[in-house]
Amino acid sequence: MAHVADIHDEHHYHPPGLQHQFEDMGQQQESASIGMWMFLVQEIMFFGGLFTVYLVFRSKYPMAFAAGSNHLDAFWGGLNTLVLIVSSLTMAMAVRSAQLGKRNLQVVFIILTMIFGAVFLGVKAIEYSAKYHEGIVPVSGLNLKTDKEIRESDESAGSPQAPVGRQDPNESLNTALGDHDSHGEKYVNTRGDFLWKDTSLVVQAQQGNYLTSDEKIAYFSNGEISQAKFQDKVRIFFFIYFVMTGLHALHMIVGLGIMTWLLWKAWLGTFSALYYSPVEISGLYWHFVDIVWIFLFPLLYLLGRHFLHGGGH
Amino acid sequence: MQNVNPINFEKIKEEPKVNYLTNGFTVKSWLLTKDHKRIAILYLITVSAFFALGGTYASLIRLELLTPASDLLQSGTYNRVFTQHGIIMVFFFLIPSIPAILGNFLIPIMIGAKDLAFPKINLLSWYFYIIGGSLTLYALLQGGVDTGWTFYTPYSTTFSNSYVMAVGLGIFINGFSSILTGLNFIVTIHTMRAPGMTWFRMPLFVWAHYATSLVMLLGTPVIAITVLLLALERLARIGIFDPAIGGDPILFQHLFWFYSHPAVYIMILPGMGVISELISNFSRKKIFGYEFIAFSSIAIAVFGFLVWGHHMFVSGQSVYAGLVFSFLTMVVSVPSAIKVFNWSATLYKGQISYDTPMLYALFFIGLFLIGGLTGLFLGSIGLTVHLTDTYFIVAHFHYVMVGGQVLAYLGGLHYWWPKITGKMYSEFWSKIAAIIIFVGFNLTFFPQFILGYMGMPRRYASYPPEFQVLNIFSTAGASILAIGLIIPLIYLTYSIFFGEKASANPWLLPGLEWRTSSPPPTENFEETPIVYWEAYDFTEESGLDLEDARNKYKVTV
Amino acid sequence: MAEGYKTAGDAEHQHAEPHIVPLIYYFGVFAVLVFGTIITYFVATVDLDGRLFPGANTLIALLIAFFKMTCVVLIFMHVRWSSRLIWLTAIAGFFWLAIMFAFTMQDYLTRSAGVFTG
Repeated sequence: MAHVADIHDEHHYHPPGLQHQFEDMGQQQESASIGMWMFLVQEIMFFGGLFTVYLVFRSKYPMAFAAGSNHLDAFWGGLNTLVLIVSSLTMAMAVRSAQLGKRNLQVVFIILTMIFGAVFLGVKAIEYSAKYHEGIVPVSGLNLKTDKEIRESDESAGSPQAPVGRQDPNESLNTALGDHDSHGEKYVNTRGDFLWKDTSLVVQAQQGNYLTSDEKIAYFSNGEISQAKFQDKVRIFFFIYFVMTGLHALHMIVGLGIMTWLLWKAWLGTFSALYYSPVEISGLYWHFVDIVWIFLFPLLYLLGRHFLHGGGH
Repeated sequence: MQNVNPINFEKIKEEPKVNYLTNGFTVKSWLLTKDHKRIAILYLITVSAFFALGGTYASLIRLELLTPASDLLQSGTYNRVFTQHGIIMVFFFLIPSIPAILGNFLIPIMIGAKDLAFPKINLLSWYFYIIGGSLTLYALLQGGVDTGWTFYTPYSTTFSNSYVMAVGLGIFINGFSSILTGLNFIVTIHTMRAPGMTWFRMPLFVWAHYATSLVMLLGTPVIAITVLLLALERLARIGIFDPAIGGDPILFQHLFWFYSHPAVYIMILPGMGVISELISNFSRKKIFGYEFIAFSSIAIAVFGFLVWGHHMFVSGQSVYAGLVFSFLTMVVSVPSAIKVFNWSATLYKGQISYDTPMLYALFFIGLFLIGGLTGLFLGSIGLTVHLTDTYFIVAHFHYVMVGGQVLAYLGGLHYWWPKITGKMYSEFWSKIAAIIIFVGFNLTFFPQFILGYMGMPRRYASYPPEFQVLNIFSTAGASILAIGLIIPLIYLTYSIFFGEKASANPWLLPGLEWRTSSPPPTENFEETPIVYWEAYDFTEESGLDLEDARNKYKVTV
Repeated sequence: MAEGYKTAGDAEHQHAEPHIVPLIYYFGVFAVLVFGTIITYFVATVDLDGRLFPGANTLIALLIAFFKMTCVVLIFMHVRWSSRLIWLTAIAGFFWLAIMFAFTMQDYLTRSAGVFTG
């Protein structure tokens, strides 16, 4: 080994950043780039499994999905989409700055990308916390509901005609925090169960005669709309929502970790027109995470939106 | 032997002072190594340990089935034993066996590279394998799993009280080992080839691993997410796979088999790659239909993704889907058949030498033929209704997995053993072992075809007394097989310490791996080789000295 | 064999100099993405399912998302200027996704088709 290494060092100019197994920078850069693309392909398949689950259940229970989706806040979802798009632009600019060898610009763009990534995660946290307070986290024991809300939902439990509307998560959030609670005291749903009362979309679909054959069995017992059975299907939607956005957020957190490392390296002035592939492949990863969200936004937040605006079917 | 190439050994006669084995002796130099050859050795040790464990479970199964009553093991224990046999053999032996050991060791050498493209990731994937394996072992020690290796819902959700989560997590982590190995191979094959090593000069072993890596990369993430969903289902009782609250157990099977059917090609394609090497090299003849074998590997990898539903013919999928999957199953058998035809044609008028690796290769062809053809029975949507979940299936996939992959693995291990260790093993004992394994294997599994055809179901600890005679045959065969597998362990270990020193090219072959010393230096070659010969070129051209070849072919590099 | 030594690899991969993408491309894609998002939202509020055909809302949303994705992949991820292998890789990813969707759904969508039940 020793004399092999000697030959190597004597005869080859060894650029900084060139790893021993490669012959030149071009080969190393190509390998890194292809490697990242292959990694993204496996990421596609990883999320693809979830999209398949989504596809199967949505085709089975479209109304439950629409009901669940309408309860998500499209404002926050849309805002997050825009935030992520901006971060993608700054990331692309960071790669460009690295290619041009502009160290300061590159540091600025990486910091901007990280800020927007953090904003995205912050918004996500607000949304998750709202779900927690509203009692629609699909896992038993992970919900908080106030006394008032339980009573309200108990009142409307008998009537499937409960008004549907765009609920502001902040309202219930504030209620939970006691800001507008006229009773001044709050009781916690100790069971923390997922509770879903609103079956109005099923009624609407039944009247419009566009329930699927699966739905005609899945939402009804003895010919009556079963609130409990419908709740199970909505719960599946929220489960898919949490798993998909949760895994996406996890990828964002990993991305922020990569960005931190990249920032450190860029700060040291490591990258130049000759050696920028770490920035490039981190960019590929970041854009991929953005693309996943581009699909998640309409598929999760907007799929039943037209029912809220007077649409039938 | 008139065609044996006169390779000029001038370049490799001088042994390097330090080879990869003697480059550092500390534990750290092994556990933190980035050398693909050392990582292959790490895999060899760990995979062998898992093979021994899985084999122990297999012995328990066969011992229990010696008598019709469930006396040695109770039903609950028996469920755990066959489940753990399956999980360990599939996820921790068959899938990493040839790719992670032989592939890891040989791919860079065969294409003339110094290492894989990402050595650190290669080491990382070994650690993923170790972590995944440890978690699984932990679950086994705690009490094990009883779901069957397929983790079908609701066995694994509603009705399981065993350690599904820990094993699931183990498989999830182990999956990343597989993904990263596949990724590494693909990138290496694309970018690390030596000058002159074009795609169609690559050994078929490399082609087979390219196809395998595609399956690993595209399939494994799906099992990862499926197992993750399964764990969440158990943790949170969501009901995504639970029909009582709107879930769908068939969806689990779809997702599971989307990976696990292509995964059976992870378990056979590398074996096919080894066999292509062995057949051509020990016939001393250029392989017949190189391109067909190369592309049939890719075809298997692609079509392998289109047939998963043939595992679900009787589990409630639609009849129409069954028809499509059944038809495509017939289609996917074509590339495998192409390979068998080409191997046979290669043997024709070859100068066959019956060295131990070649014995394994010839056994492989016969056993794989039986395993493959019975697969067609099972892929036929009508016949399969009778045969599903019987011992016919068990016999079928053991003919492919053991008769195919394990024999190919052993053949490859013997073939490259001199290169890996620098030592020769006992030719006498290795031939004896090969024959014992062949006899033991057939005695174990052929009776199971008949048992299955007669209707003996799989996965039960007890069976009607009229099946006992054939089961005794099977258990007797398993004992012989066990002996046959222990013998190589002894003489291979012996050879490491006391074996005759192997030359750089003990079989006198033209492949690139035989043009470096045994064992190779850390950087594989003293200087980057230039490839001017076709694969399996037994003409004089392939034996040219490097300098002569440069002059003759005007290789400008 | 001194410095000029190159490995074979794939012949087309020797791009030593980075390709600098003109800024107009980046800002163009950015504009497409922002407008795409806004359009997606407003289209979702219109009941196309009822007016056109069932599934029209989702179809349009997915078409817009697909267009946005294509822009990101081609420009931000530099595929437009990359080797054929990268093109192939990107396409293969989605092709395999399509296999998974299509072959799973061919089961679910034909459950009630009753090929043999008449």
